[in-house]
Amino acid sequence: MAKISFHHSDGNVDVLDVDPGTSLMRAAVTNGVDGIVGECGGQAMCATCHVYVRPEYLDALPEIGEDEEEMLECTAGPRDETRSRLGCQITVGDGLEQIEVDVPDDQI
Amino acid sequence: MSATVEGRCPFGFGGDSDSTSVMTPSQNLGTQAMAPAALPATESAARVPYPVADWVDPAALISDPYPTYERLRREAPVAWVPALKKFLVTSYAGCHAVELDQEIFSANVSGATMNRALGAQPMLRKDDPDHAADRAAINPVLRPKNIKEAWAPVFERNARMYLDVLEEKGPGQADLNRDYAAPVASQNLIDLLGLKDVRVEQMRRWSHDFIAGAGNVLDDQAIWDRCEASRAELDAILDELIPFYQQHPNASMTSALANSGLPFDNVAANVKLTISGGMNEPQHMVTNIVWALSRHTEQLDKVLHDDALWPAVFDETVRWLSPIGMYPRETTQETTLGGVRLPAGAGIGVVVASANRDVDHFGPTAGEFDIFRPKTSHLAFGSGVHLCAGHWAAKTSIGQIAVPLAYQRFPGLRTDETRPETWDGWVFRGITSLPVTWN
Ligand code: HEM
Ligand code: HEM
Ligand code: FES
Repeated sequence: MAKISFHHSDGNVDVLDVDPGTSLMRAAVTNGVDGIVGECGGQAMCATCHVYVRPEYLDALPEIGEDEEEMLECTAGPRDETRSRLGCQITVGDGLEQIEVDVPDDQI
Repeated sequence: MSATVEGRCPFGFGGDSDSTSVMTPSQNLGTQAMAPAALPATESAARVPYPVADWVDPAALISDPYPTYERLRREAPVAWVPALKKFLVTSYAGCHAVELDQEIFSANVSGATMNRALGAQPMLRKDDPDHAADRAAINPVLRPKNIKEAWAPVFERNARMYLDVLEEKGPGQADLNRDYAAPVASQNLIDLLGLKDVRVEQMRRWSHDFIAGAGNVLDDQAIWDRCEASRAELDAILDELIPFYQQHPNASMTSALANSGLPFDNVAANVKLTISGGMNEPQHMVTNIVWALSRHTEQLDKVLHDDALWPAVFDETVRWLSPIGMYPRETTQETTLGGVRLPAGAGIGVVVASANRDVDHFGPTAGEFDIFRPKTSHLAFGSGVHLCAGHWAAKTSIGQIAVPLAYQRFPGLRTDETRPETWDGWVFRGITSLPVTWN
């Protein structure tokens, strides 16, 4: 199992244990984590799964793809040049056994 | 099995008399197979293990579906509706749960006639991973950047062209649907698809013929003939266009499909899907927005003084008056939804127009039009992997271009109460005639 922590701006944290291969978006949506919408089901078409990855995990992430880059320009919350990612494009496991992200206040 | 297919694709696919797409409960289960859970206390309902809404009247749905939706949400948000031979899901939570699980709630709605109608299944009727292969081909065309850079100027040109037509008709004669919404939506789609040399009337006829085919439960040969003639016309055009775009790619959807490596039948099916699904809804959004703003003039005043409000106008209108009221799914196995047991193979109607007014999701003012309501996700474009591929295109072409330009051109634009307007439908609901006037 891999561990994902979603930090909310009110200080609450949702900590999930999920199967390797699960995306942050899918984990959040199936577990009802507030603030992650995931409207397009993970196709990098909606930008409603935006997260700010905590700096200590950034090195373990895959490169930002072309589609993801384009959609990061359309997030409802402000884009952070280093920390903004789409939750549907990041899967846990395989070198990323744990990750912590901050959930933006706006997704739509 | 008796061939009672009420649910059929209004776009013309599936729905001739041998397609048996929905099993009735009595065919799926022995009666009293399960303990009745939350049941209305009537004799007949007590025999089936789920709520039955036998009072739902299709004619009432067509004239104004919202009172029916409200009662369904209150009494039985997941209910078997005998008149439609489907389970209707009318709560936000229920619709959302269906969308999250494509393994149980498949979009591959049965009906072998679909293949006959199209030559292949379009993406809307596939599940992943097959769905993703088709969809991935068109997503790059329809992401916001390509829409803005390649298509916004085209959408603007088309809008201005038909504003001239509206002006010629004048404030005593103009019909916003006929003279503006319909031709703009059609021309936008011709361009976005890259169907060079196709005329607005031709697009409209194709889409009408497909829809007539859909209603062809009686297997009327003349309707099939028209439907097939339209398909043949389009296939002939694609026969030339596909190789052309393989040599000369551009920013259009057909070009993207032609260069995706998908087989011809697949490309053609998805072009037809887009012709069917990408025209009526944007058209209805033009008229819905003007209708809504004409009835909420204090909100209109604010919008006219602040262009930044147009996106909220689009979002609130598509929520409040959703052009696609319901879309179908089918259960692949027995399951439970909102406390209701559903048999395998059950036809499900995901009633997003109802979900979009659910007080449990939008609060007590869910039934009101308010562009200033807190942003809350809605289901007018569906959600999950079938989330409307054209949602950015529609928001841009209609919400940011066609409607704002009309208000700019015609100060005092509003519906004309002295001439009658007409609405039609619930699965697809929209204004079929909208007289407008201006100062
Ligand atoms: C060209 C490709 C399409 C095919 C092959 C197709 C196929 C079908 C089939 C077989 C059904 C019958 C389902 C049932 O058993 O109830 C159906 C129903 C339906 N389809 Fe399509 N469809 C297509 C395009 C579309 C598009 C583009 C939309 C809207 C975006 C759409 C919306 C619907 C709706 C709302 C129903 C339910 C109608 C009702 O039950 O009264 N379809 N479709
Ligand atoms: C306001 C306008 C529109 C509305 C309300 C709308 C609504 C929808 C809905 C509800 C679905 C999902 C149906 C289902 O899951 O069964 C859908 C799918 C689809 N729409 Fe739209 N639509 C609009 C405009 C457009 C436009 C302009 C295009 C073309 C560029 C388009 C192309 C499609 C396609 C290709 C699909 C199938 C996507 C898939 O299966 O992955 N739509 N639309
Ligand atoms: S879920 Fe839509 S972009 Fe990630």
